[in-house]
Amino acid sequence: MQDSFDVIVVGSGAGGAPIAHRLAQEGKSVLVIEKGPLLRPHYQVPGERSDFRRDEIYASSAEKILRVPGLANTGVSYYSSHVEPDINDEPHVYKGAKGQDYGTMEGYTAQVVGGGTQLYGSVSLRFTPTDLMLKTFNDDRRSPINNDPNGDVRGEARDWPIDYATLEPYYVMAEEMIGINGTRDNQQKPFSAVKYQKPLKPNPISAFAHDGMVELGKRLGTNIEPYRAPLAVITEDHLSSGRKIPRDASGNPDPESAKTSYVNRYGDPLGLKSSTWVALLSPVMEKPNFSIWPNCVVTHLVSDGAKVTGVRLLDPGGAERFINARIVVVACSAIESVRLLKLSAAADENFDRRINRNPLLGRYFLTHCFGGARALMPKPFDKSKALDADWATDCCATDDFLEANGLWAGAAIYNNTSDQALPLSLFRTYGSQDLDTLWNGFMSATEMRGDKFIDFLDNEFGRGLSISFMANQVPQFDNRIELHPRVKDKWGRPVAYVIKDWHAHDRYLMDVMAQQCGNVLRYGGDPVNHDYPIQGQGSIYMAENALARMANHILGGARFGNDPNDSVLDPQCRAWDFDNLYVTDGAFMPTSGGANPTLTIQANSFRVADHLLSRI
Amino acid sequence: MTVTVFEPGSEYVLNHCTKYLARAGAPPPPNDEAAAEAFRAKIAEAWRFPIIGLMRVADAHPELNLVTFVYKTVAGDTGSIQVLGTFGELYRPIPLQPVMFEGEDTGYRAVSVGIPKAQVHTYKYVLDGHYFVDPVNSQRVTLGNGRVWSRFFTDGYLQPLVLEPWEVRILYRLIEQILPFRGKEAENFLKRYYFGLNREQRKADMPKAFRLDDSVGEVNAIDKLLAREEAHRLTDYRLCLRQIDRVLRRQNPFLDPADTPAEEFVELYEKMAKSHGSGDNPIPGWDYGEYGNPAFFLYILRRHAVTCAFSHPKYAGNVGAAGWAFLSERYSDPATGTLFDWRPAIEAPLGTSPYYR
Repeated sequence: MQDSFDVIVVGSGAGGAPIAHRLAQEGKSVLVIEKGPLLRPHYQVPGERSDFRRDEIYASSAEKILRVPGLANTGVSYYSSHVEPDINDEPHVYKGAKGQDYGTMEGYTAQVVGGGTQLYGSVSLRFTPTDLMLKTFNDDRRSPINNDPNGDVRGEARDWPIDYATLEPYYVMAEEMIGINGTRDNQQKPFSAVKYQKPLKPNPISAFAHDGMVELGKRLGTNIEPYRAPLAVITEDHLSSGRKIPRDASGNPDPESAKTSYVNRYGDPLGLKSSTWVALLSPVMEKPNFSIWPNCVVTHLVSDGAKVTGVRLLDPGGAERFINARIVVVACSAIESVRLLKLSAAADENFDRRINRNPLLGRYFLTHCFGGARALMPKPFDKSKALDADWATDCCATDDFLEANGLWAGAAIYNNTSDQALPLSLFRTYGSQDLDTLWNGFMSATEMRGDKFIDFLDNEFGRGLSISFMANQVPQFDNRIELHPRVKDKWGRPVAYVIKDWHAHDRYLMDVMAQQCGNVLRYGGDPVNHDYPIQGQGSIYMAENALARMANHILGGARFGNDPNDSVLDPQCRAWDFDNLYVTDGAFMPTSGGANPTLTIQANSFRVADHLLSRI
Repeated sequence: MTVTVFEPGSEYVLNHCTKYLARAGAPPPPNDEAAAEAFRAKIAEAWRFPIIGLMRVADAHPELNLVTFVYKTVAGDTGSIQVLGTFGELYRPIPLQPVMFEGEDTGYRAVSVGIPKAQVHTYKYVLDGHYFVDPVNSQRVTLGNGRVWSRFFTDGYLQPLVLEPWEVRILYRLIEQILPFRGKEAENFLKRYYFGLNREQRKADMPKAFRLDDSVGEVNAIDKLLAREEAHRLTDYRLCLRQIDRVLRRQNPFLDPADTPAEEFVELYEKMAKSHGSGDNPIPGWDYGEYGNPAFFLYILRRHAVTCAFSHPKYAGNVGAAGWAFLSERYSDPATGTLFDWRPAIEAPLGTSPYYR
């Protein structure tokens, strides 16, 4: 077993894989350590059968019971993906509204090679230039900020230490290297180059979303039109990863084969969804200087002065090993990265002193303000042949929109196409709010039986259209990740404890954005009067367990910045008091951005890779 | 019976066992049931063992499951662990091999064998001449001679494993109240669908359809869930079905409860839905000391019924994909055809995807 590498990357998802790829390409010896299994697409398996299956039980399992003692929801049912950690083994605990502790599925991306990029819907939006400079924008704004009586927003807003122009070339690189389809026109962000592949034809139900977004742009006075939501799914042969579109019987590429609603929460057996495994890691797997160790868990980082000397890990059999490295990159998703740093501090006084030079590690934990609206369209469509989203609009992300509405930050709005397209997903998400409440609505709707069961299907099957927004959450010092004082994982290590709340301005922002999403449906569903009836609109803060909700966008907790007293990481995502420790998953973000975060995490990781190449 | 050993490789085994079996503490010593019980209780999904997988080569042996037995010991253990089961020759145990990671022993021992689908088998591990049940798998059966063996079943097994025949019959009637497959129109559809299957599928699926009497096999699939993934719910079924039997016998002393007229099942369903505990809309004849919350049982049953009717047919319900076909026929557009065209995404022979196997 090799025990020394130039670089160890902890985590194989969006934050880690771009660095591993670039450094391996440049001849550095790289070890990627991943807690989950390595499940391959069919073309990498002798016999061509992938362990990712188009099987609804793979996305959400049979019932399991939370048995961790002493939690307020001990004994509840939960249903998890085959590549999510089991919360009896490794729970995330959050503090509920009444101060009690609950176990939750929320806040895990996935534990598998590729991380969250195996299961995500693959929406790959850029942030806007304003997203990266919210302090400057709000300091200079003309209109007051609504629902912020104490001026928290101005006090807590931060500019990123890098601006959009610095990040932009790396967006281009990510869009090319990951393999993303979409359209550039109508996006309200500068592009120096367009590397998108051609999008597939949208699902016909999305026409309502398109028309509604056009009308919304008109009514807001900007005439900003929608664009095809960028999705990390290849539609053409992908040069940099060597992936090919399946060929039909005549030998022609068949990009439509990617279109299946077994997409969000499913690994792709065909490898067309651009997980970091198929896009970045498997293309370097044959290099002698690249290693990936799946099924291994890193327990601590070990330090000596300003150097992290390596990591301690448990191999698949549970044997403890120590591996040396010149550089250590932590990228195992924000909550787990913060946890790993805190566990390392608890075991090593030097590490503790250096990582906790200020009280910010774990603080300013962020997710997204998110929500939307849903309506039943006039007739059913075959939603089972869809990708996760078709249309997106930036009309609620412009500075003028923010000024006019007293908002501190904007949001991307897009339609979901694959949601509730498959039969079990329709039933198990009926009346449920999140991963913790799957099935509850259907199970207790006992009146829905026989004819009423048919009525429900007649009403809902293939007819649901939802519009979502993804917006910045106000950073708050008290929103944080700690080590839980009592609950331990299956290795006996304290689990992550999530403590967070929504700011009054967050709630206001979500109301404004949910109204815009509702309007997309009202306008799009009724081309004459623009008053189509919708089922509802709302946002996450209204959910019963709103404090748990994270949309699996887990960000912050180790933010980067220019001031060592106001951040955990320097502008290169290096821990301030360490020479060679980097954190590159969503934990680095000082603000959460007005869009799904994965592409930005990937772009930043490519940026840090360039920095690392300049020093080793 | 000859059994073929396959070698899917260490990566396959580790990918399917590490998440569950890697944890603090030493594995139980062989043949120590108390230690095994304590070990098993901590494993989040012990039911996943042995691993019932698909054959790695997509086109070879569609009739087989790849069944992988995994035994956990400590790295370097030189003991030779073997598995003996009804799937192989009875007096010839099959040795498990060390599972390696980066050239080093992980402490896992494993062997993968091809076993026909729709079968049930019993097995034991053998070490130094001692025979003992699988410390991880909680499926057990007591044979006629009183000996306890470990049990597993492969995909699509059609005989009830844990439910009694009378329980199956009552369940069948209760589920009629929930799912739409027993209305006249739906029944006609199912008949047409099963008869319309191609010859090969008909050979495979018709017996199931007849056995299941115009359903899509939900009750059989529920039996499988209760035998394995949701064994923790078997008690709810046992206790509740006994109460239902009691209530129905009290109503109709001279009628087999499963033959109770449909409207009385409707009435019972409605009463159960309103009865959340003793004193809350009590159902005459129901012993709340035995099972306190009839509505809760309906909740479980609703989830199970729908899951089994619409999940992939490998779980033994949704026979021949009849549940999907029902949706596919009901929702269609005169111009474009069906609005639930599930086949192109699904593997052959069930579906028509040329790429996904």
